[in-house]
Amino acid sequence: MSANGIDAALEREVAALISREAMLLDRRRWEEWLDLYAEDAVYWAPAWASEEETTSDPETQLNLLYLKGRGRLEDRVFRIGSRQSWASLPLDRTVHVIGNVLVERAQGNAVEATANCIVHVYGKKGAQTRGSRYDFAFRRIDGALRIARKKIVFIDDRLEGPVDIYHL
Amino acid sequence: MRNERTGHEMNRGAERDGFRHLVDDRVDEGVFRVDRAVYTDDAVFQAEIERIFEGGWVFLCHESQVERPGDYWSTEIGRQAVFVMRQTDGSLGCFINVCSHRGAVLTPLKQGSANVLTCRFHGWVYDRGGRCVKIKNEELGYPVSEGARERFNLQRIGALDSYKGFVFGSLRSDVPPLRDHLGAAARWIDLLADQGRDGLEVVPGCSTYVVHGNWKLQAENSVDGYHVTTLHSVFAATVAQRDARDTTAGMRRTESGRIKGKVPSGTYDLGNGHMGLWAMHTTPDVRPIYEARAWLVESLEPAEVEWILNRGRNLYLFPNVMLMDNPSTQIRFVKPVSPRLTEVTVYCIAPKGESDTARAARLRKFEDFYLTAGMATSDDAAALEAIQDGSLGPPSQWNDMTRGMDVMVAGPDRDARELGFEAAASCPDWEHEGMFHGFYRTWLERLEYGAGGAPRPSENGAAGA
Repeated sequence: MSANGIDAALEREVAALISREAMLLDRRRWEEWLDLYAEDAVYWAPAWASEEETTSDPETQLNLLYLKGRGRLEDRVFRIGSRQSWASLPLDRTVHVIGNVLVERAQGNAVEATANCIVHVYGKKGAQTRGSRYDFAFRRIDGALRIARKKIVFIDDRLEGPVDIYHL
Repeated sequence: MRNERTGHEMNRGAERDGFRHLVDDRVDEGVFRVDRAVYTDDAVFQAEIERIFEGGWVFLCHESQVERPGDYWSTEIGRQAVFVMRQTDGSLGCFINVCSHRGAVLTPLKQGSANVLTCRFHGWVYDRGGRCVKIKNEELGYPVSEGARERFNLQRIGALDSYKGFVFGSLRSDVPPLRDHLGAAARWIDLLADQGRDGLEVVPGCSTYVVHGNWKLQAENSVDGYHVTTLHSVFAATVAQRDARDTTAGMRRTESGRIKGKVPSGTYDLGNGHMGLWAMHTTPDVRPIYEARAWLVESLEPAEVEWILNRGRNLYLFPNVMLMDNPSTQIRFVKPVSPRLTEVTVYCIAPKGESDTARAARLRKFEDFYLTAGMATSDDAAALEAIQDGSLGPPSQWNDMTRGMDVMVAGPDRDARELGFEAAASCPDWEHEGMFHGFYRTWLERLEYGAGGAPRPSENGAAGA
């Protein structure tokens, strides 16, 4: 048990899953990446409502991405794979570095965790480093943790270049 | 001799006898070409900032962004920081957003609410009307005389007005009335503004992105229908595979008919540099406004209802804003940073009081298509950056804009007359490029003569002087 009463093995499992997602995105193993998500997963990156706050209600306010269901993630993978998207050819190179993983809650099959991510992007405009704060909800399905919800507070504004699932 | 940075022959874009050499306007001979130096040249850019952006009407904000007394909105007119402030009596004021003392920008935030604005440097205080009401330790530093502070009141900008909630301003005061500047484009603003029984509102949340391309590429692209079936074919294909997989219904469905195939469409030169594009919706019932059709039919002229419900539209208002009503409804604000760099900020604008279902559908369509995180605007931005890159070398000189020239007509066509706007020229297909002629003629006129609406010099006068 760790200090907050979360099982240490669970903490390792969560940290490994978040790192695994990052690895699959960086190495463009899209199908395996999709498999990490539950069928009804919600993928949400709110927009900034002001200099200090993001939008808070994804239904009635603007988001950068608000994808409900794994199918919407499949849309993104389809578009990248088509080689027809000008913004995605050539594809930016990325390195995700995950840190500060904290399991916040664990109850039955449901687990919640937070983490930070620095993404170094190299593309047509040169190199950029971007930062995100992650809020994850996981669900254990057939023994394996799957991502049920991923909220990404993308701290950058005044965005250069496209922002797609592999940038976040 | 070449310019190291741009690769151009030196001074190709420089002002000679004005900038006339950059627009090869010989439509009688079947020629309309624009020198790509207009995208790359520093001298052109400098003149644009001074004579177009700081020399005439520009879009500032929507009234819903400054709803209550004390609400302010910070923006720029050209290089000049300004803020719009809702006055205590409900009217709007717009002031130079700079402390009169030592020049610091006053507003702490992009958008806020304040009884007074206090400069955070030396503590000078201005009220909502821009009056300097307090100078810190005034009596110790300035000769005591009644009214001494008055000379430090904030400057008002030269002209400020709004049309159906859209607020415009000019640093110069010698501009024509806003209504004259908007001209035929006002009717196109109606098509958006009249959709709300209680007006429109800007939805919370926005996105700012930087495009490594000239601001005029944004203007052109906003009414360029010709790229849609190529650049956005991947969007249509993505939607098609999504529809095959999901069983979405109602407003959650995505319309891709416009992108995939031929639909009735057109473009207009709306005069004064404004341009419009429209294309018929294939499935108008998936659009969020469709829920309001009974009220629209009851309240508006049949032609206006037909345009609102059935025709997707992009309106470009010279020089710095687009009002889009296509997959979703958008204000796209354009800020030129350098010849090569443009900052774009996008907002969703929607009828006040629409149903939560309609609002959600409107936003999901917005996120799907627009935004650099979306699946179409990101491709547009990449394409415009490719044009910028392709415009650098001297052999790559002319952009051809003659497509559809033989079928464009001077003045309004039947559709325009029916809705009631005096188009300067009408093109019967959104793939045609005639509307760009009006844009570049206005652009040139403004560079040649300075402020929009300022008295023109005589024919042999001091153009470019």
